[in-house]
Amino acid sequence: MAGAGLLFLVLGLGLIAWITGRARAAAFVKADRTNLNSLPSYHGWYMALFAVVPPLLFLAVWGAIVPALQTDMVLSAPAAQALPMDGFARASILSEARAIASGAQDTAFQPMAEQFVPLYRAAIAHYNWIAVAATVLLLFAGGTYAFTRLKPDFRARTKVERVVMGALLTASLIAIVTTIGIVASLIFETVRFFQMVNPIEFLFGATWNPQSTVTPGGDNGFGAIPLFWGTVFIGAIIAMIVAIPLGLMSAVYLTQYARPAVRKWMKPILEILAGVPTVVYGYFAALTIAPALRDFAAAVGIPGASSESALAAGVVMGVMIIPFVSSMADDSIAAVPNSMRDGSLAMGSTKSETIKKVLIPAALPGVVGGVLLAVSRAIGETMIVVMAAGLTANMTANPFASVTTVTVQIVQLLTGDQEFDSPKTLAAFALGLVLFIVTLLLNLVALRVVKRYREAYE
Amino acid sequence: MTDDNRRNEQLARIARNNMGEAAADVPSEPIGLADPKISARGVNVFYGAKQAIKDVSIDVGMDNVVAFIGPSGCGKSTFLRTLNRMNDTIPIARVEGDIRLDGEDIYSPKMDVVQLRARVGMVFQKPNPFPKSIYDNVAYGPRIHGLASGKAELDEIVERSLQRAGLWNEVSDRLSDSGTALSGGQQQRLCIARAIAVDPEVILMDEPCSALDPIATAKIEELIHALRGQYAIVIVTHNMQQAARVSQRTAFFHLGTLVEYGKTSEIFTNPREEKTKDYITGRYG
Amino acid sequence: MIDTTPRFTVDGTRTAPTNWDSPDMRKRIARRYAAERRFKYLGMGAVILSAAFLAFLLYVMIGNGLSGFQRTEVALDVDFPALTGGTGAAALTGPSAENTAASLDLPGVVSVAVEAQYGETEVPIFSSGAWQIVQKRLLEDPALIEARQTMWLPASSELDIAAKEGGSAQAERLLAALRAGDAVQTGFNSSFLTGSDATDPAQAGIWSAFKGSLMTMLVTVILAFPIGVLAALYLEEYAPKNRWTDLIEVSINNLAAVPSIIFGLLGLVVFLNWFNMPRSAAIVGGLTLALMTMPIIVIAGRNAIKSVPPSIREAALGIGASPIQVVFHHVLPLALPGILTGTIIGMARALGETAPLLLIGMRAFIPTPPGGLTDPSTVLPVQIYLWSDEVNRGFVEKTSAAIIVLLLFLLSMNALAIYLRNKFETRW
Repeated sequence: MAGAGLLFLVLGLGLIAWITGRARAAAFVKADRTNLNSLPSYHGWYMALFAVVPPLLFLAVWGAIVPALQTDMVLSAPAAQALPMDGFARASILSEARAIASGAQDTAFQPMAEQFVPLYRAAIAHYNWIAVAATVLLLFAGGTYAFTRLKPDFRARTKVERVVMGALLTASLIAIVTTIGIVASLIFETVRFFQMVNPIEFLFGATWNPQSTVTPGGDNGFGAIPLFWGTVFIGAIIAMIVAIPLGLMSAVYLTQYARPAVRKWMKPILEILAGVPTVVYGYFAALTIAPALRDFAAAVGIPGASSESALAAGVVMGVMIIPFVSSMADDSIAAVPNSMRDGSLAMGSTKSETIKKVLIPAALPGVVGGVLLAVSRAIGETMIVVMAAGLTANMTANPFASVTTVTVQIVQLLTGDQEFDSPKTLAAFALGLVLFIVTLLLNLVALRVVKRYREAYE
Repeated sequence: MTDDNRRNEQLARIARNNMGEAAADVPSEPIGLADPKISARGVNVFYGAKQAIKDVSIDVGMDNVVAFIGPSGCGKSTFLRTLNRMNDTIPIARVEGDIRLDGEDIYSPKMDVVQLRARVGMVFQKPNPFPKSIYDNVAYGPRIHGLASGKAELDEIVERSLQRAGLWNEVSDRLSDSGTALSGGQQQRLCIARAIAVDPEVILMDEPCSALDPIATAKIEELIHALRGQYAIVIVTHNMQQAARVSQRTAFFHLGTLVEYGKTSEIFTNPREEKTKDYITGRYG
Repeated sequence: MIDTTPRFTVDGTRTAPTNWDSPDMRKRIARRYAAERRFKYLGMGAVILSAAFLAFLLYVMIGNGLSGFQRTEVALDVDFPALTGGTGAAALTGPSAENTAASLDLPGVVSVAVEAQYGETEVPIFSSGAWQIVQKRLLEDPALIEARQTMWLPASSELDIAAKEGGSAQAERLLAALRAGDAVQTGFNSSFLTGSDATDPAQAGIWSAFKGSLMTMLVTVILAFPIGVLAALYLEEYAPKNRWTDLIEVSINNLAAVPSIIFGLLGLVVFLNWFNMPRSAAIVGGLTLALMTMPIIVIAGRNAIKSVPPSIREAALGIGASPIQVVFHHVLPLALPGILTGTIIGMARALGETAPLLLIGMRAFIPTPPGGLTDPSTVLPVQIYLWSDEVNRGFVEKTSAAIIVLLLFLLSMNALAIYLRNKFETRW
């Protein structure tokens, strides 16, 4: 790990720069008895930043380009003539040689790789020297420049604070960069997918049976409607039928009826439901709920019952969402002014009449916003449906039958044997893009509804 | 002292004008009434360990408007809320003593609080119409209590209640608009109409004008005059001129105790207690 | 049915009041109270049902999983002097001990000993990894090799299932015979906590997945915590109100609600395909989860920073502190407990996350613990997913046992968050 060693070297020298800068500033005070513009430690930070930041930037760039440089050096050796011309075979030999040379691997599976190990060792050592030299040079250059600028009236604090501000701004821009990264990567792959498969077929086709090779213009089994239906059926219908009444009634009971001691204990207990990992729910659904539902359906005589059913996944997902709906409902009801409740009670309505006819209608926009957020979460949920909903793309409204969802198919398409650039692999990104857009819209609408609702009562 | 005197005379004049012919009907004994609508004896209210009302006894008659006055925090609103058991909604509040409505103990286990509140209506400090249409706001009470046997009768109740609250002419053509879209004074009259629609016997008003401008206040006061005699009305106010204008009897509260209760004209012209005198002459409060 | 006496006459004067005591009215009030009670019980029912579901889930997991921490052991007589050609204890000490042990052919030794004691059996008696336990014990105590020993070794998966919940007829028969000879006992399955993934459920353990989780979380927290805190400080304390700031805010709020699998797609395309980072590596998993956790930390951090009263900032500004000093000397320390609470909750979510890690390939079969951040590794939830797909019945208890371990960690993280919140919660 030459990189780590170098990193520690830079940081160690940075510490020395900090101490030097600080001592220099302290010396000004002693010598001239003047007041510094900034505290000595700011002078230290100023020097340390100048010493450390350029080498670190250099190392980041260097890390990205150096493997290519090393490979070029290896390939320029006479032994490289013996390499096979096939790009893939060549790359695998080289990468194995590199792995052995850097100590990540012990023995070679391809005999030819052994030949290149010494070459790689040499190349790595060569470029390591360059890296160390350049780093140290940059560090001292930066440090010396900063050192010469230190004076009693030097505004070190302002300079350092400007850097801190820059760091803060950069950190907050990462959110935008991430969003752009998501959009860019999804769109990039989706466009490649749509070059192979007609978008009309993808968005409106009714058969999902993706093939690795496509015939342009024909039906290639990339019709995603059954997946959209399965996603809506499980996430927006079955899960909400479970989550909305249970979540809403729990919130009403805990905020309006329960004694404080009960509320104090039951609220965190219900919140545990939201903290259980989805893989645990998925396993629970597949192990316990799904077989029970299948047996029930078989006993009652419902046709099409399967051991992986929309109902099993939907019910368990609904339970997972209960605390979410409940806390949104709780917040919305709490935001209704107490005077409404008093007004209703003072007319002689009972508590439940007040809740049903005044509080919930008044809180409705907030509750609806919360439900939209819950739907957005449910349709993006993956593990429960992967483990309990199944893989067959059925267009059925029978909750005991197996259906599949967008997320299940993304996992399915990307975790089997991957063929890069196959439409099957790329289809996952198109599905991801659809999922992203739908959840984005749901979130934006929901957040706006909730925000407007809050403002109405402020 | 001359300022005080002038102020005193002014209040007394307002009270005398207001009393008019009714003044003769009001019995002169301070607390006991021959036929009280509400009769409270030895009432204490506690919030947790803190005592908010100390040993208050008072009678409210059918034929007059009673004003509760006193400095803020004196317990007048708290006492008002004990009269229709709105204090039940505060978990730490505890009420002791005897409060009777038409001779029935309202704190007895047999008393149904839903029925009690239908009989003793309340109007709050801040107008609190429900976020529903004007019609639904007024119809809410009759609907939950089942006071109308059909749509026509409900329409009639709504219209009559709005008329009696003096709001009908302003809203008759937009009954389906939201109640929260009205102006503050209109909202408060809507709340009064809402309370009237349940056909109560007593109306409690907790500083009903404190959030309103003078014109809206004048309208509410007119309304109180018009309603007088049909309902027993208790109004809490911190505005002494308002008390003098609308009430026939006034109770002065101080630090949770009832200091003095009597005819409004007497309280403002010739208070028996030194504290009352200090308060109405503006020495504190 | 309703009292219809007119309440107001036409001229508006009052007549008879509503008769609240009429039988109709009494019935109506009774009905309303019944509805009130029903509504209350409905609410109570919703709470109880939700809690019961949680209890049922935990009950099933604990019921299935507790046996995963135990293993069935069977006694085996090993005549070491005869089977190892009289190797002395001295050969198993010192630096060459491992080599000596390897040269002893312990798998062979064990199978000969089994053959000698039990003969041919319909189902294997011992786990195929039993010899490793023998080797470990010999290295710990070389003296053992100089005499005949009775050793308790882990039973095969089939026998283990038969002992715990009833298995195949052959296994049951064999078990009965062994029990008759007092050759069966139940012991703590330490290899479950120290072992790695294996095809034989009797040998499978969670250590490598657990280590993978720890390394992934380390990367996540190192990246997400500072970035999240700095972004929260910027947005709450310095950001001007303009379209850029709005855009950042919308991005963060939206990222917090984007399905986790989308982050997996991002990681696959950007980190693996564009940046050529290693597949299945903890560092890629950590990066992906950091992007997912960062918005949660930002939102929690902003709420914590917002709750620091402005008077403290004004006081510090008033004595001449710069805006940066105000924030780093006063606001941040006061907001830190809230930020930490949010961070722990975000980390707990990341620890339980599965889907995005599947997409970046952290679903490989990892038979040895990963050595570094770039080594192929897996994490606990993914291990649970992989085991849940196994057909071998022996993996059911392993899956549930791994779930118990995961839940214990998550619960203690959440408990820590609640403790921090209660301890440092300040009411201004």
